[in-house]
Amino acid sequence: MSMRHWIITVIVLAAMATLPWWAGDQYQIHLASLIGVYWILIAGLNLVVGYTGQLSVGHVGLLAIGAYAFSILAGRHEWNPYIALLASGGIGAFCGLLLGLPSLRLPGFYFAMATLAFSMIVTEISLAQGDLTGGGAGLPVPGFPAPFDSPGGFYSLILVVAIVVTWLTWNVARFTWGRALVAVRDSVVTAQAVGVPVFRAKLMVFVFSGMTAGVAGALFASLQSYITPDTFVFELGLFFFVCIIIGGRGTIVGPLVGTAILTALPEVVAPLARWSTFFYGLLLLVVVLLVPEGIGRVAEVVRNRLRAKRAESITIQPDPERLARALRAREAP
Amino acid sequence: MLAALIAGIAAGALYACAALAYNVMFSTSKVLSVTTGHLSMLGGVFGAWMMTGLGWPMPLALLGAVLIGAAFGLATELIAIRRVLSRSDEHLWLLSTLALATMVQQAVALWWGTEPKPFPRLIPQDFSAGLTDQKYWLPVGVALFLAAGLELFYRRTLYGKLFVAMSEDAFAARARGIPTDLIRALSYALAGAMGALAGFAAGQLTFAYFALGLTLTLNGFVALAVGGLGSNLGALVGGLALGVLSAIATYYLGGEYQQTISVGLLMVVLLVKPAGLFGSQQVRPV
Repeated sequence: MSMRHWIITVIVLAAMATLPWWAGDQYQIHLASLIGVYWILIAGLNLVVGYTGQLSVGHVGLLAIGAYAFSILAGRHEWNPYIALLASGGIGAFCGLLLGLPSLRLPGFYFAMATLAFSMIVTEISLAQGDLTGGGAGLPVPGFPAPFDSPGGFYSLILVVAIVVTWLTWNVARFTWGRALVAVRDSVVTAQAVGVPVFRAKLMVFVFSGMTAGVAGALFASLQSYITPDTFVFELGLFFFVCIIIGGRGTIVGPLVGTAILTALPEVVAPLARWSTFFYGLLLLVVVLLVPEGIGRVAEVVRNRLRAKRAESITIQPDPERLARALRAREAP
Repeated sequence: MLAALIAGIAAGALYACAALAYNVMFSTSKVLSVTTGHLSMLGGVFGAWMMTGLGWPMPLALLGAVLIGAAFGLATELIAIRRVLSRSDEHLWLLSTLALATMVQQAVALWWGTEPKPFPRLIPQDFSAGLTDQKYWLPVGVALFLAAGLELFYRRTLYGKLFVAMSEDAFAARARGIPTDLIRALSYALAGAMGALAGFAAGQLTFAYFALGLTLTLNGFVALAVGGLGSNLGALVGGLALGVLSAIATYYLGGEYQQTISVGLLMVVLLVKPAGLFGSQQVRPV
């Protein structure tokens, strides 16, 4: 990172840290907390989708598992919320392992369908096991003790977790591991040939994303303070996925901006709320068809297109003088 | 028990139809489209709308539903497949068809409503017919008709042979002068018509419901993967096996675990026989 990047990062961090003091109302703090919670999940998922190229559309299932684990442990069994938060992460990682072990061996479309089915299975089980999850009626979720019991306080807790998770994924992404993951995404055969343990690499990031999804689920449940199976619909999983694709694959900043914009947009532009899922689909289609590199690279793509056209417009004309000179030079010796 | 089995066979026939539609699209483009189940959903919803909303007679509504399915199939190819296939990234088609499927499902949900609505009777029959009720045997008949029709189409007609040629090797087919883009578009229109016909025939079983598409995309894919990608016989067998298995499981365990069972079946088959029951062995990438 250059000096300029550091300065921008520090300014953005300072703005985010002081948000509870300059935010207009409680709702804006809630919205910022929601973006933070989504980002905790998406940061982990970004390693799976953006870096490793495994198209998981079912991470909402892992979010639900984390949320239910937290509400059952902290709510019914009255565990310390921080230990319950860690336990949710652990349970999410374990379920990620269970899901990843069979499904990560499958090729692209098969894997996407397996994760889609996983999210449906979680919804089915949460509806069927009424004794554990409260069934369709749902469960109340406890909050965190002071100083994190107010909206502003809870926001700062989420912010700290989000920064730690972002730092972890950044560390994975910029060193050998990240290169190995990108190699797996771009060509499995090449990755194998240069000695990347493909399945182990995929499984490790997937388990990591399960952990972040579990933590995000716990914070999400606490933020919403009441959860039902209807909270964790497939469209939410699609939303996470769209955030990453729109932000651009293989970066961390792109999906972060994508998450913030896509979460805030339907809330700010009220008429969009009804059409939000349709809008996500449309946005995904447009991005895939026009700029598969992600919106962050629009400027770059457009510039390349323009430059290519300019190169084409150069006309090729015979240059008799130069030809004559060349012929003379050849005849001279 | 017998009633559960027959309902399972009828549902399995619908899964088999979705798997057949997958096969038709896969043969020319090597793409597994997420929109497959939505073709049947459109057939069911538009069939119900044309008959109850517009008051059209049954044959006209059938024609209309099939045409809408074919038009959506064609639009899928033009919008989501054609541009994407020309790029080298192999999974972009998954994203583009997923986007299109989401858009269609949301648009239908907003226009038609999120509640399942009843589908009118297609053939005059008393509601006390029990196990011989048309809602059970219409999907089965359509599945058999589609499988037999596809087989005849592939073996006896020139266009069918072009489909087969493209499924063997699209580049070689192009080199022999086959208009591959046109054939691919035709295959998507054909798959759309087949899916809409199946959705129309099974309308009384599934109701006209916007969320049918995603379930059917998943279950049709499970049927296809169990039977073997590319095999029409496998699609029929896989669909029926899935339908009967979930019917039996529902009978003994209750209806809460439908997806769990279908995915369990998929995992077991993929572990034991990765190419499916009737599929050809996959070639290694190197």
